[in-house]
Amino acid sequence: MKSGKIKISILTVLLGIVAVIDLYPLVYLIFYSLKSNEEIFYINPFGIPQNPLFSNYEIAVESFNMLNYFKNSIIVSAAAIIFVMLLALPFAYATTRMKWKLKGVMSVYVAIGLFIPIQVTIIPLAILMKQLQISNTYFALIIPYTAFNLAFASMVLQTSFESIPKEMEESAFMDGASVFTAFRKIILPLTKPAVATAVTFIFLNVWNEYTVASVFISNEKVKTLPIGLAAFTGQHSTEWGPMGACLVLASIPTIVIYLIFSEQIERGMTVGGAVKG
Amino acid sequence: MNKMLGDKKAIFLFTFPALALFTVFVFYPIMQTFYRSFYEWDGINEAVFSGLDNYRELFTDPLFYQSVANCLIFAVILVLFQISAATLLTFALLNPRIKGKKFFRTAYFIPVVLSVTVVCQLWSAIYNPEFGLINQVLEALGSDLHQNWLSDMHFAIFAVTFVNVWQYTGYQFTIIYSGARAIPEDYLEAARIDGCTNWKMNLHIVLPLLKSTFRMCFVFAVTGGLNAYAQMNLLTKGGPGTSTYTLTYMTFRNAFTVGKFGYGCASAVMLVILCLAATVILNRPFKDRDGIMA
Repeated sequence: MKSGKIKISILTVLLGIVAVIDLYPLVYLIFYSLKSNEEIFYINPFGIPQNPLFSNYEIAVESFNMLNYFKNSIIVSAAAIIFVMLLALPFAYATTRMKWKLKGVMSVYVAIGLFIPIQVTIIPLAILMKQLQISNTYFALIIPYTAFNLAFASMVLQTSFESIPKEMEESAFMDGASVFTAFRKIILPLTKPAVATAVTFIFLNVWNEYTVASVFISNEKVKTLPIGLAAFTGQHSTEWGPMGACLVLASIPTIVIYLIFSEQIERGMTVGGAVKG
Repeated sequence: MNKMLGDKKAIFLFTFPALALFTVFVFYPIMQTFYRSFYEWDGINEAVFSGLDNYRELFTDPLFYQSVANCLIFAVILVLFQISAATLLTFALLNPRIKGKKFFRTAYFIPVVLSVTVVCQLWSAIYNPEFGLINQVLEALGSDLHQNWLSDMHFAIFAVTFVNVWQYTGYQFTIIYSGARAIPEDYLEAARIDGCTNWKMNLHIVLPLLKSTFRMCFVFAVTGGLNAYAQMNLLTKGGPGTSTYTLTYMTFRNAFTVGKFGYGCASAVMLVILCLAATVILNRPFKDRDGIMA
């Protein structure tokens, strides 16, 4: 059917235009990270770099402190992920499978973390950090990130726990296991996909986080990537090439994680209400 | 089995750490923000109770109104552009005869996983009045539409908002698309057999079934707009002048730059009230008769 084919072609072109709008800025970024200022500004703003300047990447790593920022981001992200999972897994289990009166209330209580914008807590938090004398340290970031990501992780895990058949615990108890053993040996392994989803989300949230870090961290030694990169505009605003190299390097981890875990991400986004309502 | 699952000691061990951390570092600070908004406080000395003074000052502060206006502009633009673009893209991709769906879905979502700093630095470059991509393109096309995108007092907020639209439309798209894909194939089959065209099907069947999905999208877009901060900070530092100020900007500036912590808390409280109001208001139009999707 000819008209059908034309419609499909038009639709594909429109979809393609949006894809270009989404992807070309990144292509432009990669290209200009390999160009000299002259090339970006005058000679060849749009096209493929004529003589790729890989030295821009060397400059990025050496004079822009990139390794330090990467290190800090990795430390903060890894710590937040571990702490969130350590706290959220038992909590989610207790609120779905264990028997106690307040379990519904506690579940909703923690869910508040999803709805409150984090900036509402920043002022008292900043003062609390100072009182605890952990300002400008890793913990100034790890603790708030953990506390705020608890809500989402719990939600993902609760959904997963709810779908495990109750017979699992029954047979474990009949074999003489304690709650702790049953939890560790039987239930946990069954929840691996949900853990993967939660971990991926926490990673993306923490790695890219800017607002909280911009307030709590001013010490260059502890800065994470988003903050470290933000400071560049003033100092190095005329060297587009190496700046671009920094931005590309900073983006590689999250893009790689996304490409590997895209399924987990999609699952995490539809949990807790998008489809259920 | 009930005895095992009701073991108080176990329950306590399982839940206490999470609850303790959450209470100390989320709940307690939220309460403090509310509490402190009624005080005059510089963060160091004794706080002085001042009742509703901070709020009175807020309502006569032109910066407050500008901030709220910017928050609302941001929210409206996000809703209009992100959600309609996401919906149209979903409709297009739902067509069974389109090829390369995975490529498109990936392309749309990639900006979402980038750090907001990377996105803002990149768009700073693109918007650059002399060498940026946009003006270069306009020049190449022979146009005179040269603009100082980010330093124009009236246009800056829109330029900043567009950056957020660019980055997060893919997020809304993924939510709506996943929701649409979850619709049982039989519904769509039945409609097709009855002679329904694709466009009609999208409008009259898919759309209504996605009511609760849309509610979530609207809440995300609106609260995202109200909470805007990072893009303004990174692209224009709230400028030019204060033309891209938001409520969060006011909160931070009052507390950390000017030293009026109580006043900062008051603007934070207003932000929470606005978000709550938005969530409540958005609940009504999306009341789902339910049953089908659950």
